[in-house]
Amino acid sequence: MMKQSTANWPGVTMWQDVTAVWLHVKACRVNIWGTALCGLLGLMVVAAATALPPGRGIAVIYPDIGEPYRSVFAKIIEGIEEQTRSRVPSFAIGASPNLQEIAGELSRQDIRVVIALGRNGLKFTAGLDRNIGVVAGGVLSIPETEARNISVHSLAPEPGLLFARLNAFMPGARRVFVVYDPNQNAWLMRLAKEAARARGLELVSFEASDLKTALRFYQDILASADPRTDALWLPQDSTTVDEGAVLPLVLQETWTRNLAFFSSNVAHVRRGALFSLYPDNAEIGRQLANSALGYIASNGQGPRGVFPLKAVLLAVNVRTAGHLGVNLADKQNFDLVFPGR
Amino acid sequence: MSRSFIKFLCALLLPVWVDAALAQPLEEEDLAMAYGDKATVSIATGARQDLRRAPAVATVITVADIKAMGATDLDEVMETVPGVHVTRTANQYFSSYGFRGINGIPTNPQVLVLQNGVQVNDLYRGDKGEAWSDLPLENIARIEIIRGPGSALYGADAFAGVINIITKTAADTPGTEFGVRGGSFNTRNAWVQHGGKLGDVDVAAYLRVGSTDGHKEIIRSDAASKLDKLFGTHASLAPGPLNTGYDAVDAGLDLGYGKWRLRAGYKLRDNLGTGVGVSYALDPVGKEKSERINADVSWSDAQFARNWGLGFSGSYLQYSEDVTTFNIYPPGTRFPTGVFPNGMIGSPGRWQRQVRASGYATYSGFAGHSLRFGLGHEDLNLYDVRTMKNFLLNAAGTPVPNPVSGVLIDYSGIQPHLVPHRRFNNYVYVQDEWNFARDWTLTAGLRNDHFSDFGSTANPRLALVWDASLDLTAKLLYGRAFRAPSFAEQYTINPTANGNSALKPESIRTLEAAFSWQARKDAQINLSFFRYDMKDTIRAMPNAVAGTGSTFANTGKQNGRGAELELVWDLSRTVRFSGSYSNQKTIDEATNTDAGYAPHHHVYARADWRFAGNWLLSPQLNWVAERKRAVGDTRPAVPDYTSADLTLRAERGKGQWSFAASIRNLFNATAREPTLYAAAVPGRPDIPTSLIPYDLPLPGRSFYLQAAYSL
Repeated sequence: MMKQSTANWPGVTMWQDVTAVWLHVKACRVNIWGTALCGLLGLMVVAAATALPPGRGIAVIYPDIGEPYRSVFAKIIEGIEEQTRSRVPSFAIGASPNLQEIAGELSRQDIRVVIALGRNGLKFTAGLDRNIGVVAGGVLSIPETEARNISVHSLAPEPGLLFARLNAFMPGARRVFVVYDPNQNAWLMRLAKEAARARGLELVSFEASDLKTALRFYQDILASADPRTDALWLPQDSTTVDEGAVLPLVLQETWTRNLAFFSSNVAHVRRGALFSLYPDNAEIGRQLANSALGYIASNGQGPRGVFPLKAVLLAVNVRTAGHLGVNLADKQNFDLVFPGR
Repeated sequence: MSRSFIKFLCALLLPVWVDAALAQPLEEEDLAMAYGDKATVSIATGARQDLRRAPAVATVITVADIKAMGATDLDEVMETVPGVHVTRTANQYFSSYGFRGINGIPTNPQVLVLQNGVQVNDLYRGDKGEAWSDLPLENIARIEIIRGPGSALYGADAFAGVINIITKTAADTPGTEFGVRGGSFNTRNAWVQHGGKLGDVDVAAYLRVGSTDGHKEIIRSDAASKLDKLFGTHASLAPGPLNTGYDAVDAGLDLGYGKWRLRAGYKLRDNLGTGVGVSYALDPVGKEKSERINADVSWSDAQFARNWGLGFSGSYLQYSEDVTTFNIYPPGTRFPTGVFPNGMIGSPGRWQRQVRASGYATYSGFAGHSLRFGLGHEDLNLYDVRTMKNFLLNAAGTPVPNPVSGVLIDYSGIQPHLVPHRRFNNYVYVQDEWNFARDWTLTAGLRNDHFSDFGSTANPRLALVWDASLDLTAKLLYGRAFRAPSFAEQYTINPTANGNSALKPESIRTLEAAFSWQARKDAQINLSFFRYDMKDTIRAMPNAVAGTGSTFANTGKQNGRGAELELVWDLSRTVRFSGSYSNQKTIDEATNTDAGYAPHHHVYARADWRFAGNWLLSPQLNWVAERKRAVGDTRPAVPDYTSADLTLRAERGKGQWSFAASIRNLFNATAREPTLYAAAVPGRPDIPTSLIPYDLPLPGRSFYLQAAYSL
């Protein structure tokens, strides 16, 4: 009951204050900077009405990185704060972070779980007190041995979601080809095989530990795939998805042969992939917050391991879709459309 | 100067070599594989895009572009758009956006300006309003510019081009940001913006307050100088400085709830200087005030039912222009009808209201077709006019001083400068996007507008798009568009240019061919060709009876052709080069000579170099060349100019300060925009042919510093 009344109060005040500012602006003929002060007051009320109270128990550690990637972490943190309904202390980690200082601050604020974003954020948590739990996000994957003790929310889209979207665009699809480096994506391929089977698809996967081998597999796939029933998937794999050699080959040959290919990298949609699922940063933040809250609620007994990305948005290349004859009846539901105009 | 520019060009290219030595941080590899390269990530992390697409030759300016170019005003953005050149008019130093040589004399009513899809253009002159002054960019999420006709979708005034300014929503501006900016000409700005949630409602709010003394370049000779020469008087204030200062307040509120969105805005411009002066005679004290209040509410559901989308919107705009005093001519000015010892003074005002309602439906149930239907109603009412002045105009348009010179008399009932007028419009449109063969799409659209005063006009649009290969798309576009006569052209009372209520709309037919080529994985080239024919162009023509002034008439014909070439090239992971070359040639068919004013050649180039994580250095240059005089104007050609700007920016996240520093017109180049020329009026030696003989000077070198803090 109390919560209800406090939630309403700032809104009313905000409206009254905006009205007051407006009346002042109307009346103000000379002193424009006086108007500025009144307006500022009004906006502060708006900000206060929508501001979050300080939170307890959860902190965020993220890499101090330049734009445009800085915005990615900013959005994730917004999602975390939205879910926890609190202002979460966050620490940007530069090239030489002061571990002691941050550890002291975490202790002072009684932090029980740290949400570590990015490789550097995760790396930093290795030096923290073991009593502080770690939930990781904003990374593709980490060695499975390291993931045994923590919960890692990967940026790799859940294969099942990719296959569901493939089915929607291409109901006749039966096989999905993929070339991957087992050192990077063995964990994901295990999930992908199950997900494909569940959707009535066959995942035809090839392991390649170097680019040369990968290229040979791609050439074979592109020569033999049947555009009516087959599709190619490019995962996030720095060995087998080389931007200089593999991508141009895949783009050209799939266009020429009318073969659908989709990617886990949204930039490939801009280049000509049919679709991609890319991270919904605010939703990632909410999921990380849930995981951290769960850790606190269960006294550190939350789930462990690497989890694929479920908070996804859909990017589609309408030009490629037109070329492949894919019907995009519900295109208003796409989050990102290429080409722009 | 040439050496300076060689150095500057070196500075444009320097980042490429420097960057080659820098390694990409490991951290970015993961992010690049999930979010894409830097070109994609800023799109992918932005707000959901509007999917209302129609094939066109278009440019989209993002927040990242705005930051890189160091722009703080819409004018600075528009100058970077291929095919567009921003010129100035003497009155209020109003910025006029010339698209492809269509300049709109003296302003730009041929360009439709929208804010969040709602028309901004005013009713009086049909442009963005004489007291526009500027539009700050802190609260702008995206600017979409279409070159070419758009009447088949947007209706009136989408003639030479369409500018749609998209403001930030709560998703675009999370948290609270405070900012201050100051610099040359005693320019001071402060703003605050906030995005958040109030219960289930997304809230974005913005307030900006600013003021500037404006640049004070010297006008060597003005219209009063001409009268001085004629009558042996010494009234002119030339040589003297421009009057371009103003005070500004901008505010916006954006509320989103489910499928509903409510926006409201306020724009105040006060103490706005008169530029050179409203009659091209220097006026150091004249001030104008304008207020723009707007609100719109919309609802849309892209999946209202199977294969159906539905939406509607309603909008309200209240706009006033209220002049405290215009010193139209300085004290001591003599006309054939007498002397103005206290100067020729006026205090006009206009008040208008625009109410709009529209709805649309989309249907995708026919294989290969995407249909869109829409209809709407507009109530456009310039309901009040005030005309206070110390003179009356005689039958020839010559001012006759009041008996008591210094006293203003309300002539609103006797000789208002404009008769109030109300116009209604009902429209309906349909568009079909037909994918008739693999890689081929034909988009056909037609809109019919019925105006209560000048009747109906139907405007078609056809666009054939061929995805020729993986890397190449070709478009062939045809469209017809119209510009509604402005209320000034219909109902002005001034014998030098009387209104004509029988005017028809101006019309234009445009044919375009456009090619988009992904030349390399990191380089995109766009090439477009155009030609157009304008007819029924509205101009003031001398009346049949000599000595009775002029009246607006549909008389002009103009044709034009040209091309635009654009390049965006990511030279490395941290360096991007973008640039364009635009060419146009426009012929006035009445004289079969160049229509004048607009540059035949225009080059824009910019390099964006990100370094040391958060730093961005962006040099840019702008070359404007070959602006011919109008026929009969014997003045030497307007000199070409090349201006360079430099912006350094440090972007930091929440809880930290971000900084930007800009130098505009780095090498202090002399840059001028052409002034109008009018053919001599027989028997009226007091009306000179070129009122400002030495053209309009643009600001010299200027400096700006900005700091912003995010919470």
